[in-house]
Amino acid sequence: MTDSTWKRPVTRLAIAAAGLAAALTVVACGSTGGTDNTDVPTAPGGKASGTLNISNWPLYIDDQTISDFEKKTGIKVNYTEDVNSNTDFFGKVQPLLSNGDSGGRSILTVTDWMSKKMYDLGYLQKLNPDDLKTVFNHLIPSLQDPAFDPGRTYSIPWQSGMTGLVVRTDLAPDIKSINDLFDPKYKGKVTMLDELRDSAALVMKADGVEPSEASTEEWLAAVDKVKGAKESGQIRRFTGNDYVQDLAKGDVVAAIGWSGDAVQAQADNPNIEYVQPEQGCILWSDNMSIPVGAPNSPAAYEFMNYVYEPENQAQIVEYVNYISPVTGVKEILTKKDPELANNELIFPSEKFLSKCSNQVSPPGDDAQQKEVENAWLSVVEG
Amino acid sequence: MTTLRQRLVPYGLMSPGLLWLALFFVVPMFFMAWFSVSSGSLEAGWSLTWTFSNYTDAISNYTTQFGRSFLYAGAATILCLLLGYPLAYAIAFKAGRWQNLMLFAVIAPFFTTYLIRTIAWKTILEDSSPVVSFLKTIQVLPSDGRVLATSAAVIAGLTYNFLPFMVLPLYASLERLDLRLLEASKDLYASATQTFFRVTLPLTAPGIIAGVLLTFIPAVGDYVNATFLGGVNQSMIGNVIQAQYLVINDYATAAALSFTLMIIILIAVMLYIRFAGTEALMGDEEEASA
Repeated sequence: MTDSTWKRPVTRLAIAAAGLAAALTVVACGSTGGTDNTDVPTAPGGKASGTLNISNWPLYIDDQTISDFEKKTGIKVNYTEDVNSNTDFFGKVQPLLSNGDSGGRSILTVTDWMSKKMYDLGYLQKLNPDDLKTVFNHLIPSLQDPAFDPGRTYSIPWQSGMTGLVVRTDLAPDIKSINDLFDPKYKGKVTMLDELRDSAALVMKADGVEPSEASTEEWLAAVDKVKGAKESGQIRRFTGNDYVQDLAKGDVVAAIGWSGDAVQAQADNPNIEYVQPEQGCILWSDNMSIPVGAPNSPAAYEFMNYVYEPENQAQIVEYVNYISPVTGVKEILTKKDPELANNELIFPSEKFLSKCSNQVSPPGDDAQQKEVENAWLSVVEG
Repeated sequence: MTTLRQRLVPYGLMSPGLLWLALFFVVPMFFMAWFSVSSGSLEAGWSLTWTFSNYTDAISNYTTQFGRSFLYAGAATILCLLLGYPLAYAIAFKAGRWQNLMLFAVIAPFFTTYLIRTIAWKTILEDSSPVVSFLKTIQVLPSDGRVLATSAAVIAGLTYNFLPFMVLPLYASLERLDLRLLEASKDLYASATQTFFRVTLPLTAPGIIAGVLLTFIPAVGDYVNATFLGGVNQSMIGNVIQAQYLVINDYATAAALSFTLMIIILIAVMLYIRFAGTEALMGDEEEASA
């Protein structure tokens, strides 16, 4: 009796210690290995049922679509708005995805460059076009062959948008170009997005450099120009999408911001307006993808097809006010809501987009990209 | 046999806590240490290379933010002490039947989340707010000046958010103060000021030390206040670490920065307790032995 009484806690401790040591070894080994996408599986299709978990950005869907989809298909949907920024979301899911676990997600939605980064790391599955007939029947031509994913093998656009100027037209009526943000008249009254691929890209465009052709030096020059404006007190803040509140209060008169935000903010304050920069905007899309280890990919395919039905898509567009990747939506909305259908920010004409560039990452290998990202970070977090 | 059993009881009681610490403190620390001397990237994987230059690079690149963090946290701590001591004193001795209500009022902000409270300050300090107009009227602020997106706003936010951490330990030590000692001091012809500085203050030193540590340590690592209330030149070291981890995924630099911050805080706290602390904390023993 004596023996077992005093041994027991010790044994437990020993087991715990051994377990701890084992865990350390496993995780230490696990975190050393890089990944690649040579053996990326294709998400299987089939008959859809069961539960579908979707991760998307906040305010990016109306409140009817999900329940309509559930009613039509019998699939139960958990729709979570847990993507607030590409980088933060990546930081959160990376440890799971690197172990082939999607955290229960069957669809996640991130922006072009992040889709590519995740795919290159082997975190996203290939999609089978035979299971996405509706999607490919209605995907607008301009988005069918993006440079980062030709032929759309792993990413399906959710919505697209423009990065440009969001201006208080009553307080700063003469701002038409990104260069006007550097006008001393507006010192301390302008903000930029903290995203390198938006802000620095627009700044170099304003100086006549095309982001997709820019060298590392040209990226660094753009970062340096922003740095100068920051140090002189010209730029008040670097923001996420909280610049809208600053504009509404009038603390800020002009900001680098996103088109959909502007449409939504304008409904509350008619003086807030999206202004297409003279030298053009940055165009981007957020894309649905099926991550590795995703349960129930048939239901994910079903959902993608569902939102590409023009009728269903029109319902989403009416609410989110971004640019739709689906054909035939404008025709439907022309009948339902002509004002929306004629809004250049939601259905932009080719002329309106003529000078815009697709969003890209800085060029070069890992080290060169990191050099630019580090330079940008030291400006934003200076 | 029972004695052996009794001797094991403390270990049994400690083991859940120890296990918790091991899992959620020691293990993460191990990984941070591991990352802080590794090199690589998320794409290529990380490998242990004993790259100690991670530390020198991190410190030399971000000296400004380190300095700023300690400056802001120090200023906020001093303000908290100056605001908190009279408040705690009033609650302990002058509040009467309002005592519980006032204590509740100190804690009440905790019913709202930290984030919301900080964002509320954006509204209080916005350019066209009454506070800012008032400051302009009394000419504390130039007519084209602003409060939001300045160092003052960040320090104000930190002070506000950490004030309860200062007030509660101060209140606890003031409340325990033996009032007869104050009477004795008065009887011995000490003025009110003398009594405060020579009796009340030394006796409540443990509360001051606890309050200062509870305010200063979390304030140094804070990044929420700088994010929302700061502008382009107010980033604290917490903002840098956050961005290194989550924006550019440079785990090595982020880990090196975190470790450096931890070590500096540890040294600062040890020095503080050594020079400001021991006398007040251990004063009784020293006197007894002398």
